[in-house]
Formats: sequence, C-alpha cells, structure tokens
Amino acid sequence: MFLDFRKGSRVRVLAVFLFVCVALIIARLFQIQIIDHRKYVAMGESEYVKRLTIPAKRGMIYAMDSGDPVPLVINETIFTLFLDPQVVTKPAKVEEVIKKVAGGNVKASISEALKDNASRYKVVATELTRKQAELIKKEKLAGVGFQETTRRVYPENTLAGQILGFVNSEGEGQYGVEGALNKQLKGVDGRLESVTDIGQVPLTIGAKNVNQPAKNGENVVLTIDRNVQLEAERALKAGLDRISSRATGSVVVMDPQNGKVMAMANWPTYNPADYNKVTNIELFKNPVLQDPYEPGSVIKTFIMSTGLDTGVVTPETTYRNTDSITIGDRTIHNAYKGLLGNITMQTVLNYSLNTGAVTIAEKLGDGSIDLKARETMYGYYHDRFGFGKYTGIELPEENRDLVPPDTPNGAAITYSNMTFGQGMNITMIQALSGFSSAVNGGAYYAPTVVNGAMKDGKFKPRTDIKPKNANVLKPETSATLRGMLVAARNTLYASHNEPGYIVGGKTGTSETLVNGSYTQSSTVASYLGFGGNGTPKYVIMVRVQSDGMNLEGGIHAEPIFSEISNWLLKYLNVPKE
Amino acid sequence: MALKPIDVVRKHRPDYMILLFMGIIMLIGLVMIYAIGHQRANVLNNIFGTNYSENYFFINQLISIVLSLGVFFAASKMPVKYIQKVAKYVLIIGVLACLVLALGGALGLGFAQCTYGACRWYNIGGKSLQPAEILKLGMLLYLSLFLAARFKQKKLDRSETLIPLAVLCGIAMILVVVVQKDLGTGVVLGMMVLSMLLIAGVSKKILLLLLGGAVILGVIFTVGTPHRRERLATFLSGDTSTVDDDEAYHVTNAKIAIGTGGLMGVGIGNSVQATGYLPESINDSIFAIMGETFGFVGIVVVILLFVALLSRLLKTVYFLHSDVGRVLVAGVFGWIAAHMIMNIAAMIGLVPLTGITLPFLSYGGTSMIFLAAALGLVFNLSRYTAHSPAEEGGDDESLSSRRRLGRPRYASRSRN
Repeated sequence: MFLDFRKGSRVRVLAVFLFVCVALIIARLFQIQIIDHRKYVAMGESEYVKRLTIPAKRGMIYAMDSGDPVPLVINETIFTLFLDPQVVTKPAKVEEVIKKVAGGNVKASISEALKDNASRYKVVATELTRKQAELIKKEKLAGVGFQETTRRVYPENTLAGQILGFVNSEGEGQYGVEGALNKQLKGVDGRLESVTDIGQVPLTIGAKNVNQPAKNGENVVLTIDRNVQLEAERALKAGLDRISSRATGSVVVMDPQNGKVMAMANWPTYNPADYNKVTNIELFKNPVLQDPYEPGSVIKTFIMSTGLDTGVVTPETTYRNTDSITIGDRTIHNAYKGLLGNITMQTVLNYSLNTGAVTIAEKLGDGSIDLKARETMYGYYHDRFGFGKYTGIELPEENRDLVPPDTPNGAAITYSNMTFGQGMNITMIQALSGFSSAVNGGAYYAPTVVNGAMKDGKFKPRTDIKPKNANVLKPETSATLRGMLVAARNTLYASHNEPGYIVGGKTGTSETLVNGSYTQSSTVASYLGFGGNGTPKYVIMVRVQSDGMNLEGGIHAEPIFSEISNWLLKYLNVPKE
Repeated sequence: MALKPIDVVRKHRPDYMILLFMGIIMLIGLVMIYAIGHQRANVLNNIFGTNYSENYFFINQLISIVLSLGVFFAASKMPVKYIQKVAKYVLIIGVLACLVLALGGALGLGFAQCTYGACRWYNIGGKSLQPAEILKLGMLLYLSLFLAARFKQKKLDRSETLIPLAVLCGIAMILVVVVQKDLGTGVVLGMMVLSMLLIAGVSKKILLLLLGGAVILGVIFTVGTPHRRERLATFLSGDTSTVDDDEAYHVTNAKIAIGTGGLMGVGIGNSVQATGYLPESINDSIFAIMGETFGFVGIVVVILLFVALLSRLLKTVYFLHSDVGRVLVAGVFGWIAAHMIMNIAAMIGLVPLTGITLPFLSYGGTSMIFLAAALGLVFNLSRYTAHSPAEEGGDDESLSSRRRLGRPRYASRSRN
C-alpha cells in the first residue's frame, strides 16, 4: 500500500526505508522463530526447566520402652542461611538480625560476604534451627535465603550406637540398622520436573512437568528395649572398669521365645551423631555380629545337649576322669583338676571338665571321635544350633564356616576341641541363638532386631515370627539341659541369684591363638545363661577380654551376667516360681 | 508532466484509520500487560521485596491508555494556529526539563532518577516522567514551523537556516546523548529530524552529509563511553556470548523468548520468559514476550499493524498541502518508526540494545502520552488532505515544474 507514492517522491524514500527495515526484521524473525526454533526451545529449556528431587523423609528408628515404642533416631530440620549480596538492601540490618538470632551459628566472614557484590550466593550461617530461621524470615530482609536440610538426631546419645549405625553426608545409611535397612528407611525420592520462574518456583506452564511425590522411608521399631539396653551398657561398662581400663566386651540379651534381641551392648562404642570424629573404623563394627571368635567352654552346653538328645548320656551318666585325655597325638587337660574317678555328666558341666566333653563326643561315635561322631556333632552344631551359619539378623554379620567332619582337618583333634568351644569361630549372636533353642524347648528362632513399624503414629508389631526349626532338640532334652545349667550355676554362683527364680548358665574361658598356638596368658572370658521361671524369659551372653590378661568366665564375665539377670527379673516382672 | 488541477482543500473527515490502528496496537499491549503484569509484580516483589498487587501494571497501563486517548483527542481538536503559538514554549520546557534533571542528578536530588550515572527520569510522587519526550515533541513542533517557514522563504539550504538548525539539534543531542547517556533517544531524535528535513525539501547533498555525520557521531558516541561499548560488544559477540554479562543475558533471553514462540506462539499467559528471565519484560522487552506469545504469525501481524499506521502517516504527508503539516507528520513518522525499528531490531539482535520503548505497547505512560499527542496532531491534520499529492520541495525535480506550496484555499467550514 505504501508504494503507491509517485516515483521520485520524497515520501517514497521514507516508505522504502520503512519497507526495507520491516523486511529485514521479518526475515530475521523468520530465522529465529521458524528456522532456529528448536535451538531456542532447547536453550530455553536448559534455562528454565528445573529437575528437582523431592527428598524422601528418612524413617525414624524406635526402641521399645516397657512395651511402647520410643524414638531412638529422629530427624531434625536444619537451615543453611545464604545471602545474595547483590540483592541485599540493608547490609547493616541483615548482619545485626542474623547475629542476634543465630549467634554461634554465624560465620565470621559475614561482613565480607555482605560486601562481596560479585557473588550471588554466600553461605553465612549453618545448622540453624527452625525457630531461628523463622525469626530471621519474619524480618523480611531482601537477599536472605534459606536452604532446608535434615540431619539425624540421637536423643539417647551413644545408646545402642553400634546397632544404629549412622547416615553419611550423602544420605546413605552405614553400618548397623541404618546400613542394613537403608532401603527401607530411606524411602524413594520424588521427582519434580517443572518449568520454573527465575526464583525456581515451579510454574503450571508447560506440558512436560513431572510430579512424582516422594515415598517416605518406613519408621522402624527395634526389638531393643531402651531400658534393657541402658542396663546392659551400664553393667558391661562397670564390669570392664573392674578389669582394666583397656578391657573391651559385649553383652547380648535376647528373648528365647522369639529371637528378639532386647539389648546388644558393646564397649568401646561411639555416638552416631559424631560418626565423623571416629578415627578407628573398627569401632563402627558390631562385635556381637561381626567378630567370630573361639567361644570356649560355654559350648559344653551344646555338646551336652547333643549327648542328651541323642541319648548317649544322661546327667547321671559317669565316666572315668583322669584330668587328661589323649586324642591322636594330642593330650587334652582339664582346667579344673582333682575330680578324679567316676564323674557324672552334671559334674562335667558344673566344673567345666574338658575330658568329660570329649567323652560325650566319643560316645557319639563308636567309642572314638570317628566320622559318625563328627557328623552327629556337625549336624547339631551347624545344622541345628546354627554355628558357622549366617543367622539372618537384619544387621551386617560375619561368618566363619565350621570345619566339616569329612575333611582331613576335620579330624578327631579339631572335633575334640570343638566339644569345649575351641577350634571353631562363631559369633556371639550365633552362640546365643543356638542357646535360645537349647533352653526354650527346642525351637530355633532367627535372631531379630526388628519389632515392627510405626505407621501414622501407631505401632504395628510384626506378625511373621515363627521358629526356623521347631525340632532342634526334644522338649524333654531341653528341660533336662535347663536343670543341668541351673545346677551348674548353683555349684559356684548360687549366692549371686535373686532367690525364687530359675537361672542357669555356663562359664567360658577361651584361649586365644597367638602366633598359631593357643595361649592362656590372653583369654576371653564369657558367660552364657538364661533366667526366668518355668519358662526362660531371657538369655544373656557376656564376653569380655583385655589384651595380655588372663580373664576367667566365672570371675570376669559372670558378675556382669548376674547384675543384668537380677535386674531383668525385676524389670520384666517375672513371677517367682 | 501534466499540470494537475488545483485542489480545493476542504476540511473533511479525519483519517480514522490512524485512530483505529493506534487503538488496536494499544489494546494488544493492554492484553499483554494483563497476561504478564502479575508475573512482573511477582518477580519484583520476590526479588526486591516490593508490594505490587497482581493488577498493578494492568491498571496503570489502562490509566495510561485512557490518558493517551484524552491527549490524542485534545490534540486532534486543537486549532492548527494554536500549535504554532505553543511550539516554542514546548521546546523551551523540554530543554529546561532536561537541564533541571541533569542538575538534580548532579546534586543528588530526590526527583532525579539515575541508573549507572545516567539520569533520564523525573520521579515525582512515585510516578516517572521522561523529559526527553517533551524535548522530542518540542523539537517536532518547533522544527516543523521553522523548516516550513524557511522553505517558504527559499532559504532552506542556506547557512542562515542550517546553522540555527545545527545549533538546536546539537543542544538537543548533547542533552540526550551526552548528559542522559541515552543513545536510543538520540537516534530517535535524529531519525525524526532527518525525516522532517527530507520532507521539508533540504537538498540531497546536505541530507547525505547529515546522514553521514549522524552515523559518524553515532559511532563516536558508541565507542566513546564504556557502557555503550559494552552494549556494542554484546551485540557483536552475538549468540556465542555467555549469559553472565547483563547485556548479553538480556539479548539472549529476548531471542530465546522469540525463538520459543515458533510459528504460532505459546499462547497468552504461557510466557515463561516473563516470569523473570527476561529483564524489562513489560517495558522495553515486550516485543520479545509477544514473539513468544503470538509466534511468527502473530508478531508479523503486529508489525504490519505498525506498518499500516505508519503508511497512513505517509499517505497524510503525501496528500497534505500544508508545508508545516507535511513536515510535522513526517517528523511523527520518523519518531514512531525509529522507536519501533530500534526496539524490535535490538530484541532480535540486529542492533545493540538502546533501551527505548515499543510505541503504544510497552508499559509506561510518558512515552505513550507524548506519542498519542503527536498522533493526535496528525489525526488533526489528516482533515486537510487533498485528493492529489502535494508538490514537494527539494532538488529532486526540475525547478520549472515546481509550484509554490502552502496555498490551499481552506473551505470556510466543512459541510457537515
């Protein structure tokens, strides 16, 4: 329309000028909008499509407290405060408010950060509580922002540290329940893919938005009883303090009727909140589960069970004790000497006579520790009591296989040692789980630390607990064994018991291998026992050691057992027999 | 060339197409502000802690449009003789306003609104006013009278015309480009004056000299100050520049907005760039948001609306027999065309960013009101066009065929 102007007209000059400019503009628009459309769409998306992760809330961990769950590990929201110095309008006020509210959390560099106009992101305070953050937010200061993170908080400090484990800075559970049940506790992070405005606030614009909500982690309730755990830790530490400042040890308390671990205490331990200050990684390990060792005489309980159950011995069966017995080229001696002549099986247990234990093994065979004897022993030790097998507890465990009966090194000498707990490496949890089945009437329960879950503030106990093997021993074998263990305990420690209850147990003093040979100068002392009335209400295993010290089960481990046992009888309100 | 019959120019219906096109453009702008104003408010509130309501920008734009239409009609009813009386005063007020602003800025007084050491705005009770707009209107009115008079006296190409002209333009340019550091407005002023000189009939030789001089001055000013050098650097570095640099960020995001629009656009209310990525989304950058919203098809329609409006102006020049009127309308053409071309070309990376508005579309009152006043005058003058083209001044044709202009016989009154 504008080229209607007469040729040579000056109006036409303006018209042509306009036409040329507009043509250039439209050509350029065609290039940007049509030809390079995809390129600019891609540039735009990389600029404003934000892929955000909605962190799933990690599940809390509860312990039991007299039948009710109480939190052992909780989450706390903490805030990191950052500044955008370019947007801050009142630097003096900002500094004053932050310092007033957050005091000790404020970095010393805040004054310089406020002046640094080249930066748009300066962290000036960390680990603020929600209350502190809200007080600062209330001031509506321009250029002040918060970043929310959560951290694990341990209201009970070091309590059950090695059971719990910790959560590392990447949010992954390490060691303990945090490590073993990481997937369950962690949940599944949600995904948010959205076009956002410049302040990263998601917009409703755009069809590509993804909104997948986070699936929060489960709240796990442990079988650990907070009070039993406290008492176990206290008694252990007190017992170790009586020995030496370098003594270490562990205590496990379990309900023999279902395999639930009530307490699992170790010394030394650590505070999961300060996991990053731990210098020795070994401290993260739980020795009850991850330290197979030669348990010593506590194992006589098991050779006795085997003998009783197979019918080769009764408590009254006698043998001729000469305080030593020769197997192949090795002679085995008794630790407790002088009970010579015809000795009953009850006395063997009472005084922990090695020769008696070896005699039972010989009776399992045709008078010697032959293949039949070894296979029977293996069948009970390994297959029934679970020695040298993973127990299946919901925590990291380590296992050392038992020497099989049909191998060259599975010969008579090894198996004779195994009758009194040497020559085999098992963990405390293996020993205690087997012991549970031996005293509870013969049902093996896999040990467990998981008691259920907390859902919507309500405790949902697990309902899937049943014995892994209900026929470990005949019920009458179990009853006979209990009687023998009570008698064995009463021989030396009757005075340690609270009267009116049924408490039995067996000491253990195991030699340790130093440079390939057993030594008595550095021994591990242990006690394995049960308590209750007609039915055992708990089983306890105590283990203590101190490098270079000859510790004895009866002197160093038994008192710890007694303290916990007597305390438990009251705590569990066990009716007197 | 055959002699044309002498037209008897009667006052007739004004060219309503001018009003129509201006109105449509204003309306589109209003829709845009409605669509993205709340996002702008949101962005400013979040970043600067201001407290703009959702409809703040829409309501203000509506007020600006109502005011602009009022000014438009006032100008369209104003007797032409009255314009001749006030021209001088408007120019003086414009110059004084610029001087007072510069002084205020230098003394750090509250009314002078300065960014990066350039004071371009008055801040009066929260409202902003750009004195350069008064200056532009003053230049338009005064120069159209001055040039037409000198043309009548056949002194157009002589130094007694050119020297005062150069002095006046020099003062205006120094005020705008040097004092206010506003090269964009300088370019607009330059294109406006050049359009007027062209239509007034200044000889080709002088026009070419002026054009060359303007280009050289432009280059000198561009390279002469750091912030303009920066803008030029941004411009030359093109798409490859990072978005760290403010200027490059602005242009890159403008292009992302426009490019994202594609053929048909993302639709009203779906602009992402308006949510804070593109600076000045409702002011200088509204073209980019429109490119994103309406796509190639829509944005070409908007450009063609401008072309239609501007071609009505050229038509008015062509058929207007009053020298003053012709030069004035040509000036308005230069004014609006310069704004449109400079703004759009910057958004699509053809010229450096100069920070000038897109007429009738950008948010903001000053620019729109003064442009509406100028268009109102054009609307006023469009009542006096004839059916045949006016004879033009200049040296394009043989002098023999030139007839004296400026003597249409006005009808006593239009018959109505």
